[in-house]
Amino acid sequence: MTSLMQRRWMHGLLVVVFAAVAGCVAGGGYDGGVDVGYGVDFYEPFGYEYGGWGPGYGVGPPRRGFDRGRGEGAPHPAYRPAAPSRSMPSLPTRSRGR
Amino acid sequence: MTSRYPDHGTWPARRILGLLCGVAVLASAAVAAPTFVLPPLVQPASTEHHPGKVIWADLVTPDIAGAKHFYGELFGWTFTDVHTGAVDYSVALLDGNPVGGLFQRAIRPGEHRQPAWLTFISVRDVGAAERDILAQGGKVVAPPRSYPDRGRQAVFADPQGAVFAVLQSSSGDPQDVLAAPGEWIWSSVLARDPDTDAAFYQNVFGYEVFEIPSNDGSKHILLSTDDYARASLNALPADAAKRHPHWLNFVRVDSVTATAARAEALGGRVLVQPFTDRHGGLIAVLADPAGAPFGLLEWTDADSKQGAK
Repeated sequence: MTSLMQRRWMHGLLVVVFAAVAGCVAGGGYDGGVDVGYGVDFYEPFGYEYGGWGPGYGVGPPRRGFDRGRGEGAPHPAYRPAAPSRSMPSLPTRSRGR
Repeated sequence: MTSRYPDHGTWPARRILGLLCGVAVLASAAVAAPTFVLPPLVQPASTEHHPGKVIWADLVTPDIAGAKHFYGELFGWTFTDVHTGAVDYSVALLDGNPVGGLFQRAIRPGEHRQPAWLTFISVRDVGAAERDILAQGGKVVAPPRSYPDRGRQAVFADPQGAVFAVLQSSSGDPQDVLAAPGEWIWSSVLARDPDTDAAFYQNVFGYEVFEIPSNDGSKHILLSTDDYARASLNALPADAAKRHPHWLNFVRVDSVTATAARAEALGGRVLVQPFTDRHGGLIAVLADPAGAPFGLLEWTDADSKQGAK
């Protein structure tokens, strides 16, 4: 009888200790656990071709005051265009430290 | 009946002791497990948040040493290494300010993949962004994760396949200032269908959308928040079937031509020769020695203030 009680006590103790250790491992960080790796280990599909670029194929930002042109701001089936009264935005003008 | 425990007084105690030792080893291993710690995006921390702004870029490369040499020589970047377990990461700095990260990842034999710069867009709540992205037809590439000091981030693909990340910075977002030479200044999405992609990004990030007049017959769209231009959306040029939609980031330089020549001398390639863009300055597209594409862009203070003619 004593032996049975001892064994139960031991098992209970081990369960408590393992639960405490598991809690330490899982609860080490905020928001459900701190990452120990880095989750951006992806590569893009292979192959970039950049033919077709050249004058007229503008990708950069417009200068401040860039003319939006006539008719801009009209309803569009896919997205909501900026209101016609809105001027074309550009990059910030303020430099760091000023 | 014979007991399985011939000596009740000593054997169980040894067993407990042994198990407790094992537990202690496990516990100490858990405590000592390397945590991947990234520096804060902004130091000292700020309360600024600019959802929709591109606030970070990470290079995923099979050759971090080669990348450090290339970008260090080209832009004057210096590097702070973060080694954690099997992870090799390095923070690129310009004049002490973090400008991006380099992450080493081997390309496995037979893996036909492309090294790339990953674009990080600011969000207030990664979980909410994930829900919006999925609702708008995007896909999860890497689920949300938290990093001490950095914040919470996740990687997604838009409905056309262009990969980007979102970052909820725990130290706030960088100020809206004009990028210095050597810093990222611009980003562009090259898409098969800019109209529907614009709708995706507008619905997820709340961008104002401007169509930019052009004379080449293709669609050019500007994405804006806080009254600042954040990125452009461009149709992939003709025969786009051979190309994959993607984000492309541009570094501001004083001379695109000179920087492109220097890049070639350092083992890079010029993918698009320098040409005059809509703002009147030159741009070009290069690839680093491992093949990751990035852009160069000239921008003068006058470009910020003058109107187009």
